[in-house]
Amino acid sequence: MTDLLLVENLQQIFGGKNRTHAVDDVSFRIPKEPTIVSMVGESGSGKSTIARIILGLLRPTAGRVLYEGVDIFTGDRAWNREFRAAVQAVFQDPYSVYNPVYKAERVLKIVIRKFGLAKSKAEAQARMEEALQAVDLRPEEVLGRHPHQLSGGQRQRLMLARVYLMRPRLIIADEPVSMIDAGMRASFLNILKDFRDEQGISTLFITHDLSTAMYLGGEIIVLYQGRIMERGRTRDVMHDPLHPYARLLISSIPTPDPQQRWEEALSPNRFEEASHSLPTGRERCLFSDRCPDVMDRCLQARPNLGAPDLADSHPPDREVACFLYQ
Amino acid sequence: MPALLEICGLTAGLQSRRAITPVVSNVDLDVQPGEILGVVGESGCGKSTLAAAIMRLLVTPQVLQSGSATLRIDDDKAYDLLNLSENDLRQLRWRHLSYIPQGSMNSLNPVLRVERQMTDALLQRGLSKKEASDRAIAALELVSLEARLLDSYPHELSGGMRQRVIIAAAVSMHPTLIVADEITTALDVVTQRQILQELAAIRDELGATIIIITHDMGVVAQIADRVAVMYAGEIVEVGSVSDIFQQPLHPYSQGLIASIPRESGQRVEGLPGEAPSPWNYPAGCRFHPRCPKVFGRCREHAPASQPQGPDRWVACHLYDQETASDD
Repeated sequence: MTDLLLVENLQQIFGGKNRTHAVDDVSFRIPKEPTIVSMVGESGSGKSTIARIILGLLRPTAGRVLYEGVDIFTGDRAWNREFRAAVQAVFQDPYSVYNPVYKAERVLKIVIRKFGLAKSKAEAQARMEEALQAVDLRPEEVLGRHPHQLSGGQRQRLMLARVYLMRPRLIIADEPVSMIDAGMRASFLNILKDFRDEQGISTLFITHDLSTAMYLGGEIIVLYQGRIMERGRTRDVMHDPLHPYARLLISSIPTPDPQQRWEEALSPNRFEEASHSLPTGRERCLFSDRCPDVMDRCLQARPNLGAPDLADSHPPDREVACFLYQ
Repeated sequence: MPALLEICGLTAGLQSRRAITPVVSNVDLDVQPGEILGVVGESGCGKSTLAAAIMRLLVTPQVLQSGSATLRIDDDKAYDLLNLSENDLRQLRWRHLSYIPQGSMNSLNPVLRVERQMTDALLQRGLSKKEASDRAIAALELVSLEARLLDSYPHELSGGMRQRVIIAAAVSMHPTLIVADEITTALDVVTQRQILQELAAIRDELGATIIIITHDMGVVAQIADRVAVMYAGEIVEVGSVSDIFQQPLHPYSQGLIASIPRESGQRVEGLPGEAPSPWNYPAGCRFHPRCPKVFGRCREHAPASQPQGPDRWVACHLYDQETASDD
């Protein structure tokens, strides 16, 4: 069976003289079964660039993105139209996606018109109300209002209502909850889970906030400087991270429980200030300069992503790019 | 022990041509010497306005309407920060009061070296060049940065390092009180953890008192000793960090803590409704339209903050002394 989405050896290099490897040989798949895949990493780890490539907004330097087995940059017009309906985006900023001059529901009306989702005005209205209910918005609190009259949480859920109208196969959500209030985050995440369970819609959820990834479950991909360091089921990775970077990242989550505080102080990055003495080049483990378990090998070659070689049996579908496990 | 800072009836608002819209209303809050107090709330609840008001750094159209904030230092001296002359205030700033506003890591001057920016205020205080430079180096050490950094320009530093330079500058005079507003919001989790732990170490080493303003319940749980929960311009509950997280009393605090996403298996619900803006704060308790436990009195009378056990305050009619039988 072909995958819903297959990302193969994706590479994105920006700039002429000072080349930046934003994405460096990234491969992963999203299966046909409805699922949520979280992609986590700090700023600059390449996660948004990957999202833009998958959405077809950016052509990669190398590598391919296959949607149901077809390269997304080779499709004809009809295929592109279908692809654009099947893969929907939700972006970070719930303010800048709206035109402030128009009423907020315009984002729903355009979709209904462009994709011919309703035959009459009454049907269009019914469609809109159904979509709003699917994202826990009362029609009267949104319809007829302008974007500035809605909160960030309402605006972001309205984007999900728009997605719901399209009934896509896949949502690419790039930091969708980082600008909405804590109280509203859980509702937004619940909608994504409901979409998966009730509508069969998968999500690629991009975030720097590991606690939201934990709540969503599914699978997780940990990125660092454009490379995948570790991937596997979210539960497995969060409870037993293997890669030293994943361990550092997960132990740094500020757990909202005063009984579970950070214990020892984290030593500052050993090489952070000494940028000139840093090992350079990319034919090494990119985390080697911060890694507490660094070995000579780590500076000489790049570790490939593969199943970890562990004494006891490891959970299925787990991959890590670290010489400690090879 | 008397409070280091005693805030009484602080009210601040936004001035328009006709009227003043209150943003922060009637805040009473004690800050104990040597503690880390976390002020939490959703965006727009007035927590940054409260911080700026204490520091007397409100800018038009923000105006201070009433209240006092008494700072007690050196055993017997007390100063009302809200009614002090600019001149007297300047004597306190930096030596006793330090403020790290939101986004200040982006306020370093790009064309000046770090040293010049860190020693500027120290030289103003009458320190010699050598003394100022030594102090700057000592302050950088507190945040795990090397002295070498004094020669760099801001663009050569990462975001986390710039934030550390700002913190170092703020603590270089060993201030009594530090107010830190969202200092780790733009940073990744690893850097956030390092900076918060350094801040806690500064409290231990310098004996400073810290007010940390944040929207992130995780940050509060990790480093605060006590927590004040703000909603719609008011402080609705104050208590120790363990009380607030284990037994929140105010329905808003309860909702805030219940809505934290945790493990995938346990579904949590968000707080229903939206926080009001200062232009439409509801009558009575400001939380009543969203409150699952609302009853008659809440719609008409604003609850006063009342003690609930040692070092615990809550502003909610559920805890009124006489029972709610009259409704």
